[in-house]
Amino acid sequence: MKMLNRRSFLKGGLAGGAAIAAVGTSKQALAGTQSFGGYPDSMGVLVDLTKCVGCRTCEAACNKEQGLPEPDKPFDDPSVFDERREGGLPRRTSEKAYTVVQKYDVPGREHPLFRKVQCNHCNEPACLTSCFVNAYRKTPEGAVMYDPTVCVGCRTCMVACPFYIPAYSYSSATNPVVKKCIMCYETRLKFGRPPACVEACPQEVMTFGKRKDLLKLAHQRISEKPEAYVDHVYGETEVGGTAWLYMSDVPFDQIGYDTHLGTQPIINYVKEFLAIVPMVLTIWPALFTGFHLLSNRKDAAKNEQNNS
Amino acid sequence: MGGRKKTLLGMAALMLLTAPLAGKSWAGDGPGTVELGSLANHYSAVTFDHAMHTGVAASCAECHHHTTGVAPTDPNCARCHEAGATAGSVACKSCHSDNRFSAADLAKIEGSPQLFHKGKPGLKGAYHRKCLGCHTTMGGPTGCQDCHTRNDKGDAFFNSGKYAPAPTASGGHGGGH
Amino acid sequence: MNSLKSQGFAPVVSDLKKDGSEWTVKEKIMLGLSPKEYMAVQLRNPFNWVLWAIYAVGLPILVGRFIFGLGWVTHSSYDYPWGLFLGWGLFTMVPLSASGFMMGTTVELFGRKDFKPIERLGLLNGLLGYLFAVMFLQVDLGQPWRLIYPMFVSLGPAAVLFLVAWHVATYLSCQVAELVPAFGEWMGFPRAKKFIKSIVLGLTIAGIILSTLHQGALGALFTYAPGKVHPLWYSSPFQWLHFFVSAVFAGLSMLIVVSTFTKWFMRWRCDENYLGNLSKLTLGLAKGASLALITYLVIKIIGIAHDNNWQYLLSGWGAWFLFEMVVGVILPLVFYTTAVRNGNASLARLGAFMAVFGLALNRLNTALIAFNWKLYQELPHWRELVIVITVYATYIVVYRAVLARMPILYTWKEKK
Repeated sequence: MKMLNRRSFLKGGLAGGAAIAAVGTSKQALAGTQSFGGYPDSMGVLVDLTKCVGCRTCEAACNKEQGLPEPDKPFDDPSVFDERREGGLPRRTSEKAYTVVQKYDVPGREHPLFRKVQCNHCNEPACLTSCFVNAYRKTPEGAVMYDPTVCVGCRTCMVACPFYIPAYSYSSATNPVVKKCIMCYETRLKFGRPPACVEACPQEVMTFGKRKDLLKLAHQRISEKPEAYVDHVYGETEVGGTAWLYMSDVPFDQIGYDTHLGTQPIINYVKEFLAIVPMVLTIWPALFTGFHLLSNRKDAAKNEQNNS
Repeated sequence: MGGRKKTLLGMAALMLLTAPLAGKSWAGDGPGTVELGSLANHYSAVTFDHAMHTGVAASCAECHHHTTGVAPTDPNCARCHEAGATAGSVACKSCHSDNRFSAADLAKIEGSPQLFHKGKPGLKGAYHRKCLGCHTTMGGPTGCQDCHTRNDKGDAFFNSGKYAPAPTASGGHGGGH
Repeated sequence: MNSLKSQGFAPVVSDLKKDGSEWTVKEKIMLGLSPKEYMAVQLRNPFNWVLWAIYAVGLPILVGRFIFGLGWVTHSSYDYPWGLFLGWGLFTMVPLSASGFMMGTTVELFGRKDFKPIERLGLLNGLLGYLFAVMFLQVDLGQPWRLIYPMFVSLGPAAVLFLVAWHVATYLSCQVAELVPAFGEWMGFPRAKKFIKSIVLGLTIAGIILSTLHQGALGALFTYAPGKVHPLWYSSPFQWLHFFVSAVFAGLSMLIVVSTFTKWFMRWRCDENYLGNLSKLTLGLAKGASLALITYLVIKIIGIAHDNNWQYLLSGWGAWFLFEMVVGVILPLVFYTTAVRNGNASLARLGAFMAVFGLALNRLNTALIAFNWKLYQELPHWRELVIVITVYATYIVVYRAVLARMPILYTWKEKK
């Protein structure tokens, strides 16, 4: 049955993520793989991409709020949308920008679609679970925080993040650290206020509130205007759910979202290995001491014979 | 594109709110012009030519929903809101919060389980969505500074104008590499 | 040195000179040569000229990395946070250094005393490989001075890398202990040897546990990136097993490769016990490696079958994967088994070179080439490559220096 699922999954034409999703299914059997699911009253942001007009005010607000360095180009310069990095990809988050807006020209759509990118603040963050110095924490308010004072700079979090969000200040020789959106936790979220980008947005593309309320709101909006939205809230289930949620009128895979991430938190893929650790630690010593005794039995017997 | 983006920008911060009576001049059924400036921050206030827009809009409900006594045009709204009495105040800010995601605002929504319009936009969002949405379909101006000029604080906020970064040789690759 | 020996030079093999007086440590360090002779030997060796060239270019760049930061020597990629420093220095060097625990297990645990002549080379290969893997890590870490943070300052025990850090650290100490006898003999501290002998079984078993876990953990690190590593190189349930089993054949094959180099270039330092047994031992190692190779081949196939990734074999990535499997696994397996059957040590050595190549290719594929397969390929910055070559050259220099002095390739003649 499981195999069947897996096969039909792949036949469906899903690429790499399919393997992952399929592997995920086999994992449910293991004890202790229940995912955390997030704090009950954590906050989130619902992003309605259909309303974004690409003004980049959110980028400017983020830059000022977080005290980031001066940008390379003014925040009202639309030419950044046409910048391409390696692989023909649009701009991404960097050590100078915790959030960026990307432009997608979607065939058949009258206007380009704009997509805001920043940390999605996962319920069970891969960066957090991969960090060997516990530099990350998920606050009950929903923010994924990073502590630069303990970070060693191994950059496993960047490898682990399924959304390619954390950036690193490679330019610093003495104190390079991870740079990413912290949902304005220290200056706003902690005090119940929305992140700076949310507040600055003239179109109110983003709705700030409790994650569970935002999900209801999103589904209500979709059911009221089914013709205006794809029937999916991105982030509701992806990698175990994220605090940031997205609605779109264009299928998500056409506007740069990875739709093959599966619904399991990233840590679940690692648990297969973590499960064997205690076994090796406890069984190996006895096992190999046994091997040693067995393999030296002949020697011991020989010694005895010689002695007699 | 440049225009639209600019427009948006404009909005970004700002704007408007129906202003004090002093700012209004009346013509016919409504004010002739309205000074929208209660949210002004990075941009100056908008002087909204209400009289002109009443001539362009098919119905007051286009902007005022059900509050002016005219049946709303959106069938989804018409399910509950019919033509009828005029609301006590028809100003945008009467219903659209100028501090949309404040703790008080969120608590009010959460404390009203019967409230249907839980996702009602705040004042800034309402202005921009309404104005820009219509301007886009009707071919109106969509640049930020088409409606409100950016002030010095706004220039600094956007690193634009005299605050623009010095051009770099690399031109800024935006990261990734 | 080989030519020197053919002219009658006798290297240090015991505490005493021919005339009965003791070697001083300084003399031992100078290989028993006069300073003038020593310098002459160094200058005569063309390989040293290559090393000097590497250092002339590489040292300034290595220093520059710590002055100007990682951004100066790498592409500062956010999409490829790990480059050659870890792809080669950690993920490739650690499995190639698995020979340490393999030889410890073979000789001390399974009682195969016939492998004794090559045991110390296996242990040294392990120790130096790990040591330089840590060096590479130090070059790569953003804040290398915080290396001990995961140990003592801020612990993240649920992370795979936490396990790697602790296990590599403890295993390094294990390996140092296992080599104390060689050092003790050379320095003239016989007591150290006795003490280690009393705990060698514990050390060896600790070595197996730690090796199983951290070799596997290096693989498990990639299970954090399920969507980023190409499915042919990724398997959530089997990744750790793939890495562990391939480390077994890689460690043994690397030992064959290194022993081949010693036979070619350091013959002067090898004694009869080592040289005379080498062909036989090479075939013994080949036998062990071929068992690991066949196991690896089978679990790789099971990995593909489990996730039903067959369709990818028909893509360009599939061709690249098959190249890795044929050249790096199947051909070495064929060469090894044929060599064992025909008693042909040279063929086993060819197989070993290919298996080492195959392992390196596998790790580079997983960490860099097939990583981000949906995004784009990234070629390392030239300075990054120069640093890798420089650090690796240092590894060779240290390796050679130890082999030339301590009783690794020869047996120390104890005082009567």
